[in-house]
Amino acid sequence: MIATPDLRWTAAWEDLVSAALVGTDRRPVPGGRPPSRADTADTADTVDTVGGAPVAPPVELLEQAAVQVIRARAGQRPHRGRPLPPAPPETRPLVGRAAAARLERILAGEQGRLLPEWLEIAAERGARLPARLIPRLLDLGARDQSIRSHLGVLAGARGRWLAGLNPAWSYLRDEPTGGAGSAEVWEFGTSGDRRAHLAALRARDPEAARELLAAGWDKETPEDRAAFTRILADGLAMGDEPFLEAALDDRRREVRQAAADLLTRLPESRLGTRMAERAGRLLTRDGDRLRATPPRACDSRMERDGVRARPPAGSGQRGWWLQQVIAHTPLSFWPEHLGLSPAGITAMEVGDWAREVRMGWTRAAILQGDAVWARALVDVEPLTDLLAILPPEEQSRIAAEFVRQHPVDGQMIMMLGGIPRPWGTPLAKAVLDKIAGVATAQPWNAGELARLAGERFDAAAHGQVARLAELPEVHEVTTTLRFRHELARELLDDTPGPLDGTRAEGPGGAPEKRRTDDGHGAAGETGGPLGEEDK
Amino acid sequence: MLALAPDAASQKTATGVSSPAKWSAHGVTSEVLWGECKGSGSKPYRACVDLSEPAYRCSCPSRKFPCKHALGLLLLWSADGVPAADKPADWAAEWMDQRRDRAEKQASRLVAAQEKAAQPATPDGAPPQPAGAPDRRAAQREQRVTAGLSELERWLADQVAQGLADARRTGPAEWDALAKRMVDAQVPGMAGTFTRLSVVLGDEDWPGRLLGEYALVHLLAVAYRRAAGLPHALGETVRSRIGFPVAREDVLASPAVRDRWDVIGSRDEEQDRLVARRVWLRGRETGRAALVLSFAPVGQALDASLVNGTTVDAELAFYPGAAPLRALAVRRHGAVHAGPPPGPSAAETPGLLAGVLAEDPWIDSWPVVLSGVVPANDGGWFLADPGLRDPGSDDEGGAEVSGMRLDPAAGTPWRLLAVSGGHPVTVACEWTPRGLWPLTTWDEEGQVVLL
Repeated sequence: MIATPDLRWTAAWEDLVSAALVGTDRRPVPGGRPPSRADTADTADTVDTVGGAPVAPPVELLEQAAVQVIRARAGQRPHRGRPLPPAPPETRPLVGRAAAARLERILAGEQGRLLPEWLEIAAERGARLPARLIPRLLDLGARDQSIRSHLGVLAGARGRWLAGLNPAWSYLRDEPTGGAGSAEVWEFGTSGDRRAHLAALRARDPEAARELLAAGWDKETPEDRAAFTRILADGLAMGDEPFLEAALDDRRREVRQAAADLLTRLPESRLGTRMAERAGRLLTRDGDRLRATPPRACDSRMERDGVRARPPAGSGQRGWWLQQVIAHTPLSFWPEHLGLSPAGITAMEVGDWAREVRMGWTRAAILQGDAVWARALVDVEPLTDLLAILPPEEQSRIAAEFVRQHPVDGQMIMMLGGIPRPWGTPLAKAVLDKIAGVATAQPWNAGELARLAGERFDAAAHGQVARLAELPEVHEVTTTLRFRHELARELLDDTPGPLDGTRAEGPGGAPEKRRTDDGHGAAGETGGPLGEEDK
Repeated sequence: MLALAPDAASQKTATGVSSPAKWSAHGVTSEVLWGECKGSGSKPYRACVDLSEPAYRCSCPSRKFPCKHALGLLLLWSADGVPAADKPADWAAEWMDQRRDRAEKQASRLVAAQEKAAQPATPDGAPPQPAGAPDRRAAQREQRVTAGLSELERWLADQVAQGLADARRTGPAEWDALAKRMVDAQVPGMAGTFTRLSVVLGDEDWPGRLLGEYALVHLLAVAYRRAAGLPHALGETVRSRIGFPVAREDVLASPAVRDRWDVIGSRDEEQDRLVARRVWLRGRETGRAALVLSFAPVGQALDASLVNGTTVDAELAFYPGAAPLRALAVRRHGAVHAGPPPGPSAAETPGLLAGVLAEDPWIDSWPVVLSGVVPANDGGWFLADPGLRDPGSDDEGGAEVSGMRLDPAAGTPWRLLAVSGGHPVTVACEWTPRGLWPLTTWDEEGQVVLL
C-alpha cells in the first residue's frame, strides 16, 4: 500500500500535514471538532462513525487524514491542457508484418549487426516503419549517423512529427524524406530535402545546379553551404572552378575545405596549378630515388588552398605540411614531374619523410578518386579507402589475393570490414578457405572472419555455403546468410515499390515467391547433415 | 513469438535452433506441433507444443521454460518451416492424451469442490465450521492479530502526537522493527506495507505521503477491530489486506465469471528472490477487471499462458472482497480474435474508479482501458478525450481538452506518442494514486503494442 495523495491543492490537507509534522502534543488538530464548512460536512460524519466519540487528538487527525486521502483519490480532478497537433497522414506503405517482426528480432539482439542492411533495403523500397518501432530507431540514429539517411525515409511523417517533440531526434530534419522533389522543395523544404533536391538536379544538369546554388549562396547557413559544396563532386568540371575558387574565401572552414578538396580534382584549376608549383619544389627525383624537402612554414596562402596549419597531436609540423601539400596536389602532376608512371613512382625509394609522402599520395588518391594511383598504392598497403575507389570485381580480386597470402590479423579484418556487400565469388572462396584453415589453430580469428562472411556474402548463396563444410564457423556463416536471405525476401515481397501504391500480391508475384521458398527450403535441408544423422 | 521466451538469452539461443537443418521428424496439426532436435547427446531432443494453450514439453534437461527447443520449433513453424501432418507422431499424441487426462481429472475435482460449496449452509447462514484443533489455531491467530494491531494503533497515535518531522532520520529503522513485530503477530499485510514504506521518503512531498500511509494503516487497523459492524464483503477485504490467507480451493469453488477476457498488460516484479508476475485482464461483456498473480523463484520461468494483447474465452474465479480484483483462471475455452478492447472515455473513467474506491478505500492499483483518447501535455503528460474540432477551422492546437494524468515517473511515453501521432487510440493503463501508468496500446493495424 503506497499512498501518494495528490492533495497539495487543498488547504485542509496542508493544515493536517503541518499539524502532523509538529505533533498534536504541540499543535491542535485543525478545526478541533471538524469545521462546519460545507465541503467538510461529510468529513464530520465519517469521523463520528469511524472513530466514535470522543477521540484523542492524534486519532482524530489520522481519521481526518484518511478521509481526505481517499476523497482526493476518488475525486481526482481532470487535467486540462491543449492536445498535440495531429501528425500528418503517411504517404508511404507500411513494411510487411514478417519484415517488421524480423526487425524486432534484430533490435532484440539477434543478428544485431544486420540492422543497417535491413534499413537500407527497406529504405530503397520506400517503405515505412511501424509506429511502435520509430522511437527506438530514432534513439539509435541519434548515436549512429550512418543509419540516419535510411531513417529519413523509413520514419515517415510520424517520425518527423515525433522528432519535433524531442530535441535529441532533431537530426531527422536534415535527412531527405525520399519524396519526389519540386521547385518548392528548394525554397521551403527541410535542409535534408533541399540537399536531395540539389543532388538530383546536379545529376541531371550540373550547370543548372551550380547556378541555383550560387543564386542564393549568401543566405545559406554555414552547415548547408558545406553540404551543398560537397554535392558538386558529382559531375565536377572546369565550369565549377570560379565558383569553388571564390568559396576558398568563405567564412566557415568546412566550406573552404570542401571547395579545396574539389579543386584538387581539377588539374587545370588555379588551385591545382598553385599546389603543383609548391609540390614540385618539395619532392624531386634524384637518380633512382626521390628526395623530399618539407616546407619550412605554412603561410596564409597555403592555408587558403586547404593546407591545415596545425598538425594533429603527435605529428611534427613540417612532415604534416609536406603530407598536406602532396594530398592537395593533382595526382596527374607527378608522372610528368618525375618522369615515371604511378606504379614506378610508388615503387621508388624516398628515404626521409617516406611515410608522409606515401600518406599524402594515399589521401590524394582517395580525394581525387584516382583508380590508377589506388591500384599502385594498394599493392603496398591494402587500405579499405583505396580499395573503395576500385570497381567491385577488382576489389574482390585484390582482397582475395591478400587474404590468400597473409595470416589473419587486425589489418586483414579491417580491410575486409571495409569491403561492402555482396562480396564477389573469388573473395568469398578465399575467405571460406581461410576460415577452414585457421579454425582449429585460431578459433577466435575464424569466428571473426565467419561473422564478416555471414554479413557480406551474397545471401542467395547460403545453400551452397552450407554444403561446403561442417565446421561450426561455416555453420554460423550459413545461419547469418539464411537470415539475410529471408530478411531481403520479406522486404522485397511484402512492400510495394516506392512509386506505385499497389501491394505486390498480384498473380505475377506469387509464383516467383513460391519458387524462392522451395529453392530455399531444399537448400536448407540438403545443407543440413547436422540434423538428420544419429537417429 | 519471442515474447514467450522466459528471458533475452533464451530468445537468442532459440533462434539458434530455429534453422530447418536442426530438425527432423517434425510436423504440425491444428492442435499440436512437434519435432526432434539434434542436441549435444546421441538421442535427439523431442519437443512439442500444445498450440491451444500454449503449453510445452521437451525431453531436454533445461530448467528454462519454455526451453530453447520449444521456442525454436515455434519460430520455425512461424516461418512456415514445419510440414503439416494428418496426425501427430506417436510420442506427441501420447503427451496430448496425458494432458487431456489431467485436464479432465482437474475438471472433475473442480466440479466436486463446487458441489461441496453449493451444499446448503447451516440454518443460521454461517458456513459449516470444521471442529477441533484447526479451530483453536484460528482463534489463537485472531488473538495475535488483535494484539498486534492495537499495538500498531498506539504506535501510530504516538507518532502523530509527537510529530512526524523526525521520520526521515528514525523512520526506516523503526519501520523495520515494526515490520518484524507484524510478522510475529501474523499480520503479513501490514509487515509488507512497512517494509516498502521507505520509498515515500524519496518524494519531495514525503510528509504528505507519509501521513497518507499512516492514515490508511490506521483505517485498516480500526476496520479490523470493528469488523463485526462491516458489510460481509468489506470484512473480507479487510481480512485479506491484513494477510489472512484464502485457500485456492475455496476460490476455485466459488462461482466463476465467464467472459471474453482481454489480456491488457503485465508486469514482473522481483521481491525477496521471488518474481511476481501481475497480469491484468478485462472482460468484454462484464466490463470487470481482473488480476492474475503468479510467482516463481528468480531465474525460473513464470506462467506464460496469458499473453499480452490476446483475448481468451475463460472462466475466472475471484478472491473474495468488496472490490474483487485478484482472480484465478478456472477453465479456458480457447483464444478468440477480437481486436482492441472496448473501454470508457477519459471523462467516464474517474467515476468508475470512484466506485471502486467507495467499495475498497485501500485500492491503490486498478487496471483501466481508455478508449479513443489522445496524449496531451501541459507540463505533464495526460490522456484526454479529443476535443470537438471545428472541421472548418485549421487551428493547429485545437480547443482545450481534459483527461487523466500519467504518473510523472513514467516519463515521456514516446512509444505511445509514436503509435498515436496525436490521433485517438485505445490505451490500457494501471491506475495508481500517482497517475496512470501506460501498459498497452493498439496500432493502426490493430496490433498490440506494449508500452
